[in-house]
Amino acid sequence: MEYSSAVVRRFDAPKRAGELPDGAPGLVSGEAEDRTLHVWVRFQLQVIEGVVRAARFQAYGCPHTLAAASLAADWLEGQSVAAARGLDMRSLCAELAVPIDKLGKLLRIEDALVACWRQLPTGK
Amino acid sequence: MKGAEIYLDYAATSPLDPAVTAVMLDCLHHEFGNPSSQHAAGRRARDLVEAARAAIAGRVGAPPERLVFTSGATEANNLALQGVLRRDRGARLHLVTSRIEHKSVLDTARALEAHGVAVTYVDATALGDVEPQAVAAAIRPETALVSIMHVNNETGVVQDVAAIGALCRERGVLFHVDAAQSVGKVPLALAAAPIDLCSLTAHKLCGPKGIGALYVGPRAVLQPQIHGGEQERGLRAGTLATHQIVGMGKAYALADPALEAPRLAALRDRLWRELSPIDGVRQNGSPGRRAAHVLNVTFPGVDGESLRLALRGLAVSAGSACAADSPEASHVLTGMGRSDVLAGSSLRFSVGRFSTETEVLEAAAAVATAVARLRALAKSAPPWCSA
Repeated sequence: MEYSSAVVRRFDAPKRAGELPDGAPGLVSGEAEDRTLHVWVRFQLQVIEGVVRAARFQAYGCPHTLAAASLAADWLEGQSVAAARGLDMRSLCAELAVPIDKLGKLLRIEDALVACWRQLPTGK
Repeated sequence: MKGAEIYLDYAATSPLDPAVTAVMLDCLHHEFGNPSSQHAAGRRARDLVEAARAAIAGRVGAPPERLVFTSGATEANNLALQGVLRRDRGARLHLVTSRIEHKSVLDTARALEAHGVAVTYVDATALGDVEPQAVAAAIRPETALVSIMHVNNETGVVQDVAAIGALCRERGVLFHVDAAQSVGKVPLALAAAPIDLCSLTAHKLCGPKGIGALYVGPRAVLQPQIHGGEQERGLRAGTLATHQIVGMGKAYALADPALEAPRLAALRDRLWRELSPIDGVRQNGSPGRRAAHVLNVTFPGVDGESLRLALRGLAVSAGSACAADSPEASHVLTGMGRSDVLAGSSLRFSVGRFSTETEVLEAAAAVATAVARLRALAKSAPPWCSA
């Protein structure tokens, strides 16, 4: 398997990995998995006044999954919720040069974020 | 990881021994004759071929005239299976093999199935053994051939080929052994063993790629698979590659298990001692029945593809190949009952002639660091990631 330099950089030093402190204000979390594809992703977001103030991820899976989860978490920080909901996985995958046969795994990132958005009070 | 890549993948292939390189270069520079030619250059090449054949035969305990040179063990496996089953067309059309054989046997078996041959795939135990009783139970009156490997290429487990061969003899069935991983690690005495066909290769024991041999015992009669000449008693047509054969001969002369196996076993055991403190780590394959050079380890909670990228300074093999959307787990480890996830979290380490204790220690430290880092990234992962 060949990896783009962007994937290798993110894989070697994944930004936004880990957890946010328990009880932090505005904390939402969501996770998704696909056992057949050997992938699990979890995001924790701190949303205050309609803005993602902090984002952290955990992931089990291939290097593309880890790199994409890191890139997504990195991008989410500082975004308004409205903008964050519009995270474009296609451009994120293009930035990492993810091969097409890995896209199924990376859909779990979208699913985990959707699970986060569901926890937000309506209108946020 | 310091400096250059640490090579612990000798079960995949091995570097040429300098003594092998020397005899091959000498041959390439000076002996270009065709061993089938009757003139002086041909006779000199033939002498080199026959000296190499004798060296190889000596290492595996076989009469030299029973060895047929091939392009490697894959071709030897093909010649053994197809040579028997295609010759027996219409008579005995049943093959017995195991689920944990090398792909060159399994894929050949599947190709034979497409031509009407019935194949029984015997299960392995959780420790990677193919039990002789299980083979015996699979033999039918129409069975022509049993094919079981000697040393498993992924786990290093040594199969009881003496017992399996003995029961094949009792039942009047030919027995083929793929010994690609054996030579230099486990003693072989083919003429004295109940083995009719045995595949050999050079590149796993510091010899060249592209050359191997099939031992054809006196009971086996084969249909040639390559036509176009009378070389190798008509069993394998094609001009003999003198320099490759000379290299294989030298490699076999050097590969003495009595000298090499104890050192390799010490390195392998040292590697395991360094890895064993990692939480949840486990060896794959019967510890008491393993060849000296292979250690297969599962690291639960770590994705195998990520582990391999994290260890890119270390040349080891995966227990699985995560091709893409459908990760294909090692058929050997799943055949031993491991889940796809655990099979995918496994690595095969294999040491060889030029491996050092320093390399083993550096490799173990790198693995421990990588496993800890990847587990930290998946700290809250569900149990299936480790099961």
